[in-house]
Amino acid sequence: MSIFLEREGITRRQFFKGAGLLTITLVAGGIFAKIGIDIFKASDKYIAQRVQGLYDLDEKMALRRSHENPEVLQLYQDFLSPGSVSPVSEKAHHLLHTRYGKETAVMMDELKHHAA
Amino acid sequence: MNSILTTNIIEITSSCKACDHCISHCPADAIAGRLGEQHHIDYSKCLNCGQCLINCPFGAIHDLSSVEQVYEALNNPALTVVVQIAPAVRVALGEEFGLAPGTNVKHKMYASLRRLGFDKVYDTEFTADLTIMEEGTELIHRVYSHLGLEGYEDKGPLPQFTSCCPAWIKYAEDNFPAILPHISSAKSPQQMFGPLAKTYLAQKLNIDPDKMVVVSVMPCTAKKYECDRPEMIASGHKDVDFVVTTRELARMIKQQHIDFLDLPDENADKFIGLSTGAATIFGATGGVMEAALRTAYEILSEEKLDKVEFEAVRGLAPVREASVDIPVKSLNTALPVNVCIVTGTQHVKDVIEDVLAGRSPYHFIEVMNCPGGCINGGGQPIRRDTY
Repeated sequence: MSIFLEREGITRRQFFKGAGLLTITLVAGGIFAKIGIDIFKASDKYIAQRVQGLYDLDEKMALRRSHENPEVLQLYQDFLSPGSVSPVSEKAHHLLHTRYGKETAVMMDELKHHAA
Repeated sequence: MNSILTTNIIEITSSCKACDHCISHCPADAIAGRLGEQHHIDYSKCLNCGQCLINCPFGAIHDLSSVEQVYEALNNPALTVVVQIAPAVRVALGEEFGLAPGTNVKHKMYASLRRLGFDKVYDTEFTADLTIMEEGTELIHRVYSHLGLEGYEDKGPLPQFTSCCPAWIKYAEDNFPAILPHISSAKSPQQMFGPLAKTYLAQKLNIDPDKMVVVSVMPCTAKKYECDRPEMIASGHKDVDFVVTTRELARMIKQQHIDFLDLPDENADKFIGLSTGAATIFGATGGVMEAALRTAYEILSEEKLDKVEFEAVRGLAPVREASVDIPVKSLNTALPVNVCIVTGTQHVKDVIEDVLAGRSPYHFIEVMNCPGGCINGGGQPIRRDTY
């Protein structure tokens, strides 16, 4: 038991020295951690701002529905389905539709056939 | 892997510090490399989306550039160079010139393209409107086919997936070939513009399509891969010749010493340049869905919508769902249309598995690869803002 009685504890000076070192270490560690987190988790606030930019622009447009676009209607009338507005016409199918995966090879044969 | 990759767009350079940050942003698990070793891309999985590129803290990831070829075409007086510019570019291009994110620079953007020497300036929003006409009609046909209406047999299975995002298309082709019949056959707006420019526009302007070069300005690196897909030759030529990103356009404007902020407001050229607000929102997640709902609702109900906004499909959550009752005049009944919006290809797997297992409640599903939609694409200005 004598070991406890003989022990004098730390002096006031030693306490401040230890506490000071501990504080400096924690603060410095915190700053470096913050820099690291900032680098790796950059703010993504810009995503919401850009989305809002598009919605604001939409509200300012005179026309807001695709089927009201006069140049689109004219394209159907003059070219894709002459004389009417009928989407997925034969010409539209040839120019504006595609196929995916293994079927693209079949489609390319058809396109070459169409050209010839 | 039955990848039909043609060009490798994204490259990790030797400045890689092997920090693993890109791996956490890759939607396709395509980046490999141990901590401390230069990372490399597994091109059989890479979707070319560039999410790694815009999120790399060291700027160590690059994309393939066609800027030199575009300058060559612009300097060749024998060629007519036409340009299309995507919706998402107009709310981000200003950031390269000190403006806040979301600032609309649409009209200055058209002016800057003319100063760069493009002969005709158009807008991909025009073909976005056209995409709604084609893809929306396809959806209506599929719904009629599903209801067993006469004359609409074998129009394709439901639900229908959107087809505007080339990274999503490549993901589906590489990983889920069984889902491909569900994807709309309509091309993306960029790839609709190409063949129309080289046929319809060439006729209207009386230009030889052999002497026409189509350039796109896109917020996207995967669009560079999409325009190089071998089947994109419907016009008899390569439909879209070159793609430059928003970042590359800003660089070109600076290289040519154009004072962007001082430019006058200009408009797009006629025939294939006019657009509506429905096309503008294509650049945001949920935008294609909202644009399709506006048109589908009005065409099927034969009524005008009082309020064109469908707030239910907006937001930034990776997977969102909504249901809209559309009164169909010709059938004399209200049809509930269930829709789903996915942003971030890494979140689409469960949705696809539900569809393949036949337990999906949806009719129409929008998938965009980049979180937030095209406005956060791999070709957009890089922001490393801290908190």
